[in-house]
Amino acid sequence: MKQSLSEKNFNMLNIILMILICIVTLYPYLNQLAISFNDGMDTMMGGITVYPRKFTTESYKAVFSNSDFLGAVFISVTRVLLSTSLSLLVVFSAAYGLTRKNLNYRKEITLFLMIPAYISAGVIPAYMLFRYLNLINSYWIYIFPGCFAFYNMVIIRSFLQEIPESIEESAKIDGANDIQIMFMIIVPLSLPVLATVALWLSVGSWNDWTTTLMYITDSDLFPLQYLMMRLIKESETAQQMALEATMNKSANVIVSKPTSESVKAATLILTTLPIILVYPFLQKYFIKGVVLGAVKE
Amino acid sequence: MNSARSLEMAMETKNSFFQNIKRQKYAYLLILPAMIFVFVFSYLPLAGIILAFKDFDIIKGVINSPWVGFDNFIAIFTYPNMLRAIKNTLIYGCVILFGGFPFPIILALLFNELKNMRFKKVVQTIAYMPHFLSWISVIGLFYTFLATEGAFNQIMAWLIGSGYIAKNPLMSEQHFLPIIFLSHLWKSVGWSSVIFLAAIAGIDPTLYEAATVDGCGKLKQVWHITMPCIKTTVIIVLVMSLGTLVNTNFEQVYGFQNVYTQENTEVINTLIYRQGIQNGKYSLATAFGLAQGFVTLTLLLVSNAISKKLYETSIW
Repeated sequence: MKQSLSEKNFNMLNIILMILICIVTLYPYLNQLAISFNDGMDTMMGGITVYPRKFTTESYKAVFSNSDFLGAVFISVTRVLLSTSLSLLVVFSAAYGLTRKNLNYRKEITLFLMIPAYISAGVIPAYMLFRYLNLINSYWIYIFPGCFAFYNMVIIRSFLQEIPESIEESAKIDGANDIQIMFMIIVPLSLPVLATVALWLSVGSWNDWTTTLMYITDSDLFPLQYLMMRLIKESETAQQMALEATMNKSANVIVSKPTSESVKAATLILTTLPIILVYPFLQKYFIKGVVLGAVKE
Repeated sequence: MNSARSLEMAMETKNSFFQNIKRQKYAYLLILPAMIFVFVFSYLPLAGIILAFKDFDIIKGVINSPWVGFDNFIAIFTYPNMLRAIKNTLIYGCVILFGGFPFPIILALLFNELKNMRFKKVVQTIAYMPHFLSWISVIGLFYTFLATEGAFNQIMAWLIGSGYIAKNPLMSEQHFLPIIFLSHLWKSVGWSSVIFLAAIAGIDPTLYEAATVDGCGKLKQVWHITMPCIKTTVIIVLVMSLGTLVNTNFEQVYGFQNVYTQENTEVINTLIYRQGIQNGKYSLATAFGLAQGFVTLTLLLVSNAISKKLYETSIW
């Protein structure tokens, strides 16, 4: 099919726009990558674009030798693994249970599970409950409270409803009960939807920092994202102090920059690296989750 | 009826309840953990709502704190900064929701027109990246980008020429809204287009073929075929996003706020955090949060009802 001239122009413009979008999206990240490999003092002079001017791995060495950083890695990694596993177990079991036949209270249970998705008491009542449960400043606050999300259950349930009954029936004839059937037959069949939900949960857990902000003051329990937030807020305060010093022409003021831009950049790169490396290959799972959730409407 | 008979009936009901459970005991066992978690972490905090109606004194505890009725809710209008927080919330909310709404749709339309599958995949993968970054990472990137010696000022200096004084936009209040809007776009436009792309992909191709035969150009096809077909998706996304008008993204706003901008850029969520958790004003913060939740729910229900009436589309 021949393309008219205007169509050709449109396609050309479209391609140019797409390339622009790619540049705008990637630039800040590449910039950060370059800064992380650049010498700290040199970075302060500005002008770094997408390649390091004075290459060095000093910043990364500094980050890896920082015990706070390593502790935060431990917190982040373990909490992702634990919370994702627990949540998957709870949500999947509930979804499967709700698809069983002859379930007398199905409607009531579904309603019970659904209402909190729309009505929540808010931060302060949650804070009071956590205090009562001794979860404030406890590692377990990363694992238990967010365990069940109704939306995730709906996605899994939609998937499970597509599985033909004959599979379960033949297993029942062989004498298996529901729980055995679930673990030995249904779970292996559900790997795609499990992967989708697991990925959602993992990304959410890895990126979360507000839980720490609200309920944790013990620095041993800081995850990577929270550490980064403190770094950013701290370096921004230092920037302000530096600017005020120059504005007041107080050349005598030695503004100690606690953390160099390069170290901050290295921390950011490391914190985002796992997700950046993984998501391109698992895109289709994430997208499937979105589509499944929408189709359910 | 006599008491023996009514006791019998009560026990029968009780028996049938347990009989029902027994019949499907494994299913209920599987659902039980979820119900326990939801009960403990979603329903129990609801008891905390009572804080909003009391003047909570930490020494006296919840039970012994004095009852103040709706005083805390009235305080919404008198509390310093609250009215400004409400104003900011609505402004930021409207700009982000309504200003940002067309972009993912347009992007989806443009994605759909890309002919080279490889190129399309690559661009999409890149466009999705910011969505997977945490807001803290995005804010970190923006801080570097907007710093006085950062790329933003370099580009501005190159565009405007000599006489341009480099400054950090993050330190001025007037730039807060544009930064919030642009960072929101940067982070979400790629990923938000996914759902619209899926909707567009679901359109029957024969519709387009018929339109081409009738001599319709690309633009006309988009206007008369694509847009009406994705109307349902657009409306549902809009209705579900309405809550963000009152519920700004805490991570984004809190993250971008700094000593220079904090005073005038407060939104409801950050105010609740600062007054509630940082300053310990539990009762007030609970009341504020409740009021906000109430408005969010109302927005959702009303818009759902409206869309049902006007467009025969609704969430439930």
